[in-house]
Amino acid sequence: MKHVIIGNGIAGISAAETIRSMTPDADIVMIGDETAPPYCRPMISMVLEGSITGDRLPIRDADFYERAGIRAVLGHRVSAIDVEGKSVHIGNEQPIPFDRLLLATGADPRPIRAENRHLGNIFFMRTQEHVRGMLQALPQVRRALILGGGLVGFKAAYGLLRRGIEVTMLIRSGYPLSQQVDSHAGRMILEELVSRGLEVRVETDVAAFDGNGAVRRAHLSDGTEVPCDMVVVGKGVLPALGFVPRDKISVDLGILVDEHLRTTAPDIYAAGDVAESMDIARNSRWVNAIWPEAVAQGRIAGMNMAGRTVAYKGSLSRNVIRIFGLDVMTAGIVNPPGDDRYKIVSAIDRRRKSYRKLVFHEDRLVGMTLVNDIEQGGVLVALIQGGVAVRIPGEKMLAPGFNCRRLFI
Amino acid sequence: MKKVIVHPERCVGCMQCMPACAVAHSRSRNLFAAILESPVPRPRIHVGAGLYHEGFPNRCRHCDPAPCLLACLPGAIFRDEELDTVLIDPDKCINCASCAMACPFGVIRYHEDCHAPPGKVVAVKCDNCLERQEQGLIPACVEVCKVNALTFEEPGEALKRKTDEVARSVSLGVSQTELPSGFARFALLIGHKRKELHVGRP
Amino acid sequence: MNDKYAGRTITRDGQLLLEKAEKDRVETVWDRFENQLPQCGYCEMGLSCRICVMGPCRIDPFGEGPQKGVCGADADIIVARNLCRMIAAGAASHSDHGRDLIEVLDEVAKGKASGYRIRDAEKLKRVASEYGISSDGKDDLKIAEQLAYAMQEDFGTRKKALTLLRRAPAKRRQVWDKLGIAPRGIDRETAEMMHRTHMGVDNNWQSLLLQALRNALSDGWGGSMIATELSDILFGTPKPAATAVNVGVLKKDQVNIIVHGHNPVVSEMVLLACRSEDLLQLAASKGAAGINLAGVCCTGNELLMRSGVAMAGNHLTTELVLTTGAVDMMIVDYQCIMPSLGTVAACYHTRMVSTSDKARFPGMEHREFHPDNAAEEARALVKEAIENFTNRGEVFIPVEPVNAVGGFSVETILGALGGTPQPLIDALKSGTIRGAVGIVGCNNPRIRQDFGHVTLAKRLIENDILVVDTGCAAVATAKAGFKVADAAQMAGPGLREICSALGIPPVLHVGSCVDNVRILVLASALANALGTDISDLPIAGAAPEWYSEKAVAIGAYFVASGVYTVLGPMPPVTGSMNVVKLLTEGLEDVVGATFSVEPDPEKAALAIRRHIEEKRRSLGLPAQKV
Repeated sequence: MKHVIIGNGIAGISAAETIRSMTPDADIVMIGDETAPPYCRPMISMVLEGSITGDRLPIRDADFYERAGIRAVLGHRVSAIDVEGKSVHIGNEQPIPFDRLLLATGADPRPIRAENRHLGNIFFMRTQEHVRGMLQALPQVRRALILGGGLVGFKAAYGLLRRGIEVTMLIRSGYPLSQQVDSHAGRMILEELVSRGLEVRVETDVAAFDGNGAVRRAHLSDGTEVPCDMVVVGKGVLPALGFVPRDKISVDLGILVDEHLRTTAPDIYAAGDVAESMDIARNSRWVNAIWPEAVAQGRIAGMNMAGRTVAYKGSLSRNVIRIFGLDVMTAGIVNPPGDDRYKIVSAIDRRRKSYRKLVFHEDRLVGMTLVNDIEQGGVLVALIQGGVAVRIPGEKMLAPGFNCRRLFI
Repeated sequence: MKKVIVHPERCVGCMQCMPACAVAHSRSRNLFAAILESPVPRPRIHVGAGLYHEGFPNRCRHCDPAPCLLACLPGAIFRDEELDTVLIDPDKCINCASCAMACPFGVIRYHEDCHAPPGKVVAVKCDNCLERQEQGLIPACVEVCKVNALTFEEPGEALKRKTDEVARSVSLGVSQTELPSGFARFALLIGHKRKELHVGRP
Repeated sequence: MNDKYAGRTITRDGQLLLEKAEKDRVETVWDRFENQLPQCGYCEMGLSCRICVMGPCRIDPFGEGPQKGVCGADADIIVARNLCRMIAAGAASHSDHGRDLIEVLDEVAKGKASGYRIRDAEKLKRVASEYGISSDGKDDLKIAEQLAYAMQEDFGTRKKALTLLRRAPAKRRQVWDKLGIAPRGIDRETAEMMHRTHMGVDNNWQSLLLQALRNALSDGWGGSMIATELSDILFGTPKPAATAVNVGVLKKDQVNIIVHGHNPVVSEMVLLACRSEDLLQLAASKGAAGINLAGVCCTGNELLMRSGVAMAGNHLTTELVLTTGAVDMMIVDYQCIMPSLGTVAACYHTRMVSTSDKARFPGMEHREFHPDNAAEEARALVKEAIENFTNRGEVFIPVEPVNAVGGFSVETILGALGGTPQPLIDALKSGTIRGAVGIVGCNNPRIRQDFGHVTLAKRLIENDILVVDTGCAAVATAKAGFKVADAAQMAGPGLREICSALGIPPVLHVGSCVDNVRILVLASALANALGTDISDLPIAGAAPEWYSEKAVAIGAYFVASGVYTVLGPMPPVTGSMNVVKLLTEGLEDVVGATFSVEPDPEKAALAIRRHIEEKRRSLGLPAQKV
């Protein structure tokens, strides 16, 4: 059986390892555009921050491919897929045939449209190369501008603040991480960051940059100017599916997959940031481009590719982050629509400086936000993922010591 | 292979397992010295309060596959296949709490530890008292539990006992009063605590 | 209203102040209770023993782990010993309180206790004659001196029986004599209880419990009774007086001083100071419209009974009253004072002062009161409280107070009945009033605050049962509006009729926790009038929300005196089915009454009503089926 995996991020790696452990004789080819050994993408912000060095990033040894018996085709991006002919094209190279194909190409940073966006020291933060570039520029940087208050922009801001750089963040909503947290937690986070020196501008964006070779100034849409010698663009990611033939493989924001991670084309699977699966909390299709889902999807896709039919329950957005004095964990639907299908219970404990909000849909927990006291947050995440019917009043789940024993009467 | 088995219906909430676990993972292995250590040792088993304020011993289940292992960003969590134990390497741990988000049982804690690099906050959880087992001892939590809410036995044997208990309880002619008297006493207390909790609550 | 607060207390002032405490980040007793969960089952069952250092030991209730302590004591012995020590501690507390009052009486007799005097000379003479002290040709101070001496003898080893046991009906004294549990000396019984529970002394669980009953009786017919009688003699026998309760009794425009604790020897002196002309003028000069003295817990009840002083709250609200920011000073003596109060007060401008050499607290300034300096020290403290008035920050008094009437001593009740218990007996005989119940005891975070007391009182009066109450229970029903004459509307037709005729509420405030002895005296009067024992009467006791060792002692002396008593929270006895059976069944044959545990006040009311009707039937009175 010839397995071809496009993408050597954690989804692809997990799939490859799973296939190898289930079928020792299988033929596995991995195609990836990054040449470094497989590394932990979420940790690159820690390299920017300085809390770890780059040598801590790899999560597999340099001889990983060799030892796993994988033929690695690195430094290349796939240009086309021949769905009927069952082969993968990389430019003008010899096409690579497959019996089973996994599309695990991940996502790319969403581009911006501002004028002069190609000036030096304007970075995305998606790869360790990006961070290497940022670190090289850092000695000359006094002021950084962050575009976007999502996870990437947020982590960049945090890392740069920890490096002693003056940071200004431009966000569209009233507080950072607006996709992950509700307004209350968002304000707590904003206050914490502002108290540590972050400057935030809301509801504004960059129209143009200017500088001499490297960026020196940003011109905002409200007419004001912000001096900056580094810019980090964190405007989200777009699944990398430019090469996917949309008439053969259904695509929405991401590549559509069923509960076995199969695309609409036979013997072709997708997993990771490029895939769009059922979201357990939303009960609709969604791209949840987070590390643990890439791992889970990769593994299950690998099982199915290796011949074992395993169902994937669906993805769930979730995130945990430690920012200075605050720990924040969120999962599922954090900002439900205001109708009465959803019930919200929340509690603020001023003595413990903690905040907890739970979102219920009928008798299922579908979302949560925790600020501090996050240690046992996984219990609540498991309830969301399991779609467990909760038969005790939601308020009882707000205590920090909530444990599974309180759930079952 | 013997494992630690939890029988939550017997837990009286005395919490002895917690200091025993902490002391077993201290430098000095002695209660009076351990509380003076820096960092102070912490338990890896946690007794929570159930719905009726009864005790509930919560420890790592050493799952297979382990959600924490799969979630770990730097790959600090690994499985010792031979001993069927999931362990955390404190040198690799980056304290990101991804394991907290993944663990469905909430058994991981984050603090400094004498087995970790000094001054570093790391993820800490039950290690099946492997060091003690190497010395021919049983896990510390089991050793101190006098109500047998925690036992160290072959799962097969524990399950056989449970099967027999269930079989007995559904046997014809066996009534509630024939339960061993100990259960009757504890049941009296738990029954009272349930009543107390419901009295007049809105 | 946030369910979290409503689940903790039925009182509106409590809920609002809980919200304030949360906002001010003040930790309360409820927070600490949550933090303690789960509480140790060994200890809850009475199966842990720390009496000696061969231990500490525990018994596995499931029968597989250790079944005996190191010394060989089994579950029955360990449970019994633990309960006995609780009773010893409770009895000791009440009795020590009585002892302090004897000291004051003695100092008054010697002219060394300025501020204190004999207020009820008639009662002095009556009680003195019970001690065989004649009043002929003696002035009050002489009688006082001799009475003090005689009462001190009741505390020691010289006597063979406590003097005031004679107040009990002859049949009841026979029960005690036959069992060998008539108390001989107040301190003696406590000392013997501590001796017997030492390792290797009394290892028979029944004999241990019998001594516990004797120890409790040495409190009920000894220490507490002396306390109550001397308080009446020194400070006046209570008469009905209008008063008010809940945190709304604090006044935004006045200096607020709260007295907390138990012994009126302190609070009466503070009251005196609060009424003195020069201090009132000082207060006015600071912009205060007056000096507002209020109480919490029993010392407040003592002042309420005698002078109509208002009560700001009961046990679980002692921290919350401080969060109003309106308390300029809290003065405490001993018992039931949470060591957390100093920390709470530190969040506000409140001065915290301890006064007893026996009772010091973190975060409190210590200003010791003794009979010879109490009046002066009280004045000094009130002056300092006035000075603190201008230091107030934000004041939050979120409710209006509820009116109440207290002051129902036995003398008052008999007086209201025309001098004898006969009208009450007639009402009992005819069934207009079915019976009487004493609701006593504390608050406990295990039970929604005041829910037990109020619900039980309501169900009983609805069924024509007269309720008398003391301590925190009395404050609970007062807060709920049961202690005004209009509350008779809530009572059943029979009780309503009697209350309306006499102009009394259906729930009578009988006093502080030592004043539970007034219930014994009243029961004795009824039993004597009917020619029966106390255990034949259609009466019962209840402690729906108790927490303290004192409560265990009170419950034990009620039952030992023949009064069926229902407890809300469970005492630590479930580790021994033998002890449980004795307390809830066996004691019927021993002392003619038992304990019962029922946390649901609705069910407790049913059990009590059934009991009362049973007693009525046995007396040949018209009885109902419940």
